[in-house]
Amino acid sequence: MTSGSHLLPATRNALALQLLAIADDEFVIGSSDSEWTGIAPILEEDVAMSSISQDEIGHARAFYELLAELVADGRDADAIAYDRPATGYYHARLLDHPRGDWAQTIARRYLYDTADAIRLEALAGSSWAPLAALVGKVRREERYHLMHATTWLERLAGADGEPRQRLLDALERLGPDAGTVLTPLPSETALLMADITSGSGAELESRWRAAIAPTFERLSLPLPPPTRSPESARSEHSTAFRELHEAFTSVRLIDPEAVW
Amino acid sequence: MLPPSTVEPGDAADPEGGGVRLEPYEVFRQEKEGDPMRHGGSVLAPDATLAVHYARELYGRRQESVRLWVVRRADIVELDDPDLLQPPLDRSFKKPGGYVMRDKLEAARDQAGTSKPRPTSTTNAAPSAKRQPGAKTQPRSTPDPDPTPEDGSP
Repeated sequence: MTSGSHLLPATRNALALQLLAIADDEFVIGSSDSEWTGIAPILEEDVAMSSISQDEIGHARAFYELLAELVADGRDADAIAYDRPATGYYHARLLDHPRGDWAQTIARRYLYDTADAIRLEALAGSSWAPLAALVGKVRREERYHLMHATTWLERLAGADGEPRQRLLDALERLGPDAGTVLTPLPSETALLMADITSGSGAELESRWRAAIAPTFERLSLPLPPPTRSPESARSEHSTAFRELHEAFTSVRLIDPEAVW
Repeated sequence: MLPPSTVEPGDAADPEGGGVRLEPYEVFRQEKEGDPMRHGGSVLAPDATLAVHYARELYGRRQESVRLWVVRRADIVELDDPDLLQPPLDRSFKKPGGYVMRDKLEAARDQAGTSKPRPTSTTNAAPSAKRQPGAKTQPRSTPDPDPTPEDGSP
């Protein structure tokens, strides 16, 4: 059913890379934001952020499962998620930043969720039915994530003094990497030709910048600058990510047979 | 008495003392379409928007609700005056225990040509479970243990 046997090899490889990019993005932001469990600003927010992080891990699992069926190389979702060295992950550089303070987490969530929404929109009508079906479900959950991030972005931006300053600092750190979520994948031509996605990375990025501009303008926030080093948008990961990788692979290393 | 309706900075709910004023919101939830709204619990939030987010996470994230009502506790009109609710004199004459409604109801139904609503399952047919299907966990609306059907109470 989900096997890509009817796909041309070039298309299948391109599709596999696209699935890996989304799955790794969701997996890394979910793992990173889950660090707030137990220490979020208030109990209710603790539950909310933990739940959102869990949602992201759930999305990652669904995309890893799709990938596992597509490539059918004997690895299951867990093997793909946990059995790679830190250098083998394919997430966007925006997610290489640590969760930082609350303002950085919110700023990153907002930048990521808005970009992810544009990416998913372009995949919703995918010619590869299993992907279109999964994206349809994921988008319904991401809608809430974006509501949550927007609510907080508005609060931090609208509060004078420290909250706004922390948000501005975070946007300055994250801004040059924000566009990496939509930086074109090397294989995107094959995806476009096969109608697996409806927009090139460049189109999606300009759509994303147009989508966030009104909010940034309303809140008097600086828009993210052009993407820094787009050629390494999904490689050369940071020390912060290596530490995160060490943490999320630790159980798997102790007991590879452990089940959920 | 309802618990205090605001949390001051420095309270346990505001360990940072950052000056964010949190207010309790009461959350009511509906398990499935047609069910009554039941009180689920409460959340603390600085405003209604975040209260709805938190209500969604605490009372809806496991798909256990199809609808939530989120109400600022301060907006609830409360009545807890014992003179009005628990007066000391004998009120037994206000209870329907003295009436046997069953025969009268049946006659009225016969006259109207409507049959008695049938319970949907055998467990609901037990005399002790004369409630609407789907309301199994709802406390009786009256503390009176009299088995008169609820639709016959004055």
